[in-house]
Amino acid sequence: MSDNRQLLADMAEGLFAELAESDFEAAWPRLAEAGFSTLLVPEDKGGFGGDWGDVLAVLRLAGRNAVPAPVAEPILAHHVLALAGIEAPQGFVSIAAPGCRVPWGRHADAVVSVEDGKASLYMVDACTFTEGESPAGEPLDAVTFTGTAAAGAPCEADLAALGAFARVAQASGALEAAFTLAIEHVNQRQQFGRPLAKFQAVQQAMAEFSEEAAAVDASAAGCAAALDGLDEAGFEIASAKLRTNIAIDRATPIAHRVHGAIGFTMEYALNRYTRRLMSWRSEFGNDAHWAGVLGRRVATLGGKGLWVEMTRRSDRLIQPA
Amino acid sequence: MQIFPIRPFNPPGDIPALRQQVRDLVAQHESHWQLESRANCWFSFDEAFSKALGKAGLLAMNWPKEYGGHERTMLERYVVLEELLALGAPAGLHWIADRQTGPLLIRYGTEAQKQKYLPGMARGEIYACIGLSEPNAGSDLASVRTSARKTPEGWRVNGQKVWTSGAHRSHAALTLVRTEEGSERHAGLSQLMIDLDTPGITIRPIVDMTGSHHFNEIFFEDALIPLDALVGTEGNGWKQVVAELALERSGPERYLSSHALLVALIDAVGPEPAPDIAQLIGRLTAELWTLRQMSMSTAAKLDAGEDPVVEAAIVKDLGNAYEQALPRLVQAAVDADLADRTDLSRLLVWLLVQSPSYSLRGGTPEVLRGIIAKGLGLR
Ligand SMILES: Cc1cc2nc3c(=O)[nH]c(=O)nc-3n(C[C@H](O)[C@H](O)[C@H](O)COP(=O)(O)OP(=O)(O)OC[C@H]3O[C@@H](n4cnc5c(N)ncnc54)[C@H](O)[C@@H]3O)c2cc1C
Repeated sequence: MSDNRQLLADMAEGLFAELAESDFEAAWPRLAEAGFSTLLVPEDKGGFGGDWGDVLAVLRLAGRNAVPAPVAEPILAHHVLALAGIEAPQGFVSIAAPGCRVPWGRHADAVVSVEDGKASLYMVDACTFTEGESPAGEPLDAVTFTGTAAAGAPCEADLAALGAFARVAQASGALEAAFTLAIEHVNQRQQFGRPLAKFQAVQQAMAEFSEEAAAVDASAAGCAAALDGLDEAGFEIASAKLRTNIAIDRATPIAHRVHGAIGFTMEYALNRYTRRLMSWRSEFGNDAHWAGVLGRRVATLGGKGLWVEMTRRSDRLIQPA
Repeated sequence: MQIFPIRPFNPPGDIPALRQQVRDLVAQHESHWQLESRANCWFSFDEAFSKALGKAGLLAMNWPKEYGGHERTMLERYVVLEELLALGAPAGLHWIADRQTGPLLIRYGTEAQKQKYLPGMARGEIYACIGLSEPNAGSDLASVRTSARKTPEGWRVNGQKVWTSGAHRSHAALTLVRTEEGSERHAGLSQLMIDLDTPGITIRPIVDMTGSHHFNEIFFEDALIPLDALVGTEGNGWKQVVAELALERSGPERYLSSHALLVALIDAVGPEPAPDIAQLIGRLTAELWTLRQMSMSTAAKLDAGEDPVVEAAIVKDLGNAYEQALPRLVQAAVDADLADRTDLSRLLVWLLVQSPSYSLRGGTPEVLRGIIAKGLGLR
């Protein structure tokens, strides 16, 4: 990890841990002050000048701490605005990807959308929200743009794909947090005269859980590398989001199973991670969506072409020593 | 605790050119390969191709030059392996020697052993097999009973190995034996590099459920093995075997065994597949891509001198699950006539019958998950 990224991660970890039990009103000003929103905005445009590897590090920590406020959305919104050359407004800017709800929409000061190669910035008075909630109880609001855009410019970003990457990164953190809780629990909780961890069936389940978390870590890292090193990361994003969705499907039941009833309570922390994971699986494309996108893309490559394309892409990411 | 910290895969040199070299070599040989041999291809044999790889400098890639190696990196070797597997090249004859027996000899062997075996292995002419399993020692390998008694003339070996892949095509078996009388479990074990033409050794074929003769039984009846066949230290066999197994867990052969069927599926359904088939292809691709990320990262750790035991077990377990599920998922989704002679049907039938072995060879899921659980501090 670069020194800069380590500093960034240390800062994020400290702040996110503090915000873990707060709410939007308390958390947002602290996040805004810390300046995560401009993580991907170049330094010469007043941003942090980070890369997607930095975004992964920060969002992974946000997921691990179940931060109850938008960390990913403003990063993506400001990135798109910078790409399109639109000046960013003050306050919290969320994202409206085609066909997707706006996370935390009701709290936003503005919303960025990208459709048909054009980025548009809508101030909140041009937006009408229909409020909704995620399984984790977080705002997922549908938006209709009832006023005109404050600004618009050509932009090729695929906001839904970037949102999918954000959820992959957050899920890798949330899975780690759920896994850590489960490990602690099976080591402590005794039944039949010994810790649950001593039962082979429990050990095997935890090993499977670790495999799924590992798969998400690997796909998140591979995806960040592609976003940083390739001109287009659609293949990697589709693969990573789909694999993450599969991991959520396999791992969250194990997390709950080994916890028993305590894991089903509101008070115990597990649900803060698993309810978010349940939501993220659907956000910015569920399994069927990304499987279709990826499968259609691969079908055009032909049987041998799949391997040729996979290796061509990863070979371009090799960093000379 | 991050379970799987990622290490980037950064081999030196011109990697696209290295891939092209392998692809060109495969193109020169592939016309006489059976379709079925292109699936699970590291269990298929083609002597001419093994020798051609040796000649091209694509075996023993990271071994010292003095033993016929090419002093390239493990990661360049990894690239060659994954190309061979993805293209379905029959790589089975030299596979064990190149992957584990040679490296083990480099690490623990005597100078004479190195001179005797390594250059021939590097040329693709000397093949080796793995003499671990016995009738009563499978997952519980520490219960091996085959014994070697030290006499002035040599080691007297008695006992039986079983499931030995390719023993009938191999020159030598790196064999785990009990050298200390009365010893139990992990103690008193040693490794002998046993030439299979030694009197007192009988190799009997076992036909597997695909109808192939791939693995064997090896019987040792008072076979006299030269004293200098001992590899490494007497009594250190368990530790050496554990090191050997680490070389065989996280490689691309743990998730690419069914790749030929994915290739055939994509070709069979064409550029505009029905939505459910497109989704199946997408799902398999996502798993494949992710496993490759994991396997490459583990290779990079091995190359950097780390000891990624847990990561390697994770890659093997997930990889085997994927390559084993692939034919079943294709069968469920595609209305294939199994008695048909299309490429898709032939590969599907072959892999349905072959794939139960994937999660047996090299350690079962229960054993691998036991290793992971140990790494997680649960046992
Ligand atoms: C195609 C193929 C090629 C092979 N090639 C070689 C070779 O070249 N050389 C060689 O030495 N061996 C070889 N093997 C043998 C292979 O290593 C063994 O099959 C494997 O280690 C399992 O041993 P086993 O077959 O005796 O099964 P067992 O150990 O009897 O296991 C049977 C079942 O019980 C489970 N089990 C066992 N112990 C436990 C436990 N403690 N807790 C929970 N579950 C348990 C296993 O997971 C498995 O599901 C090969 C096997 C195959 C199928």
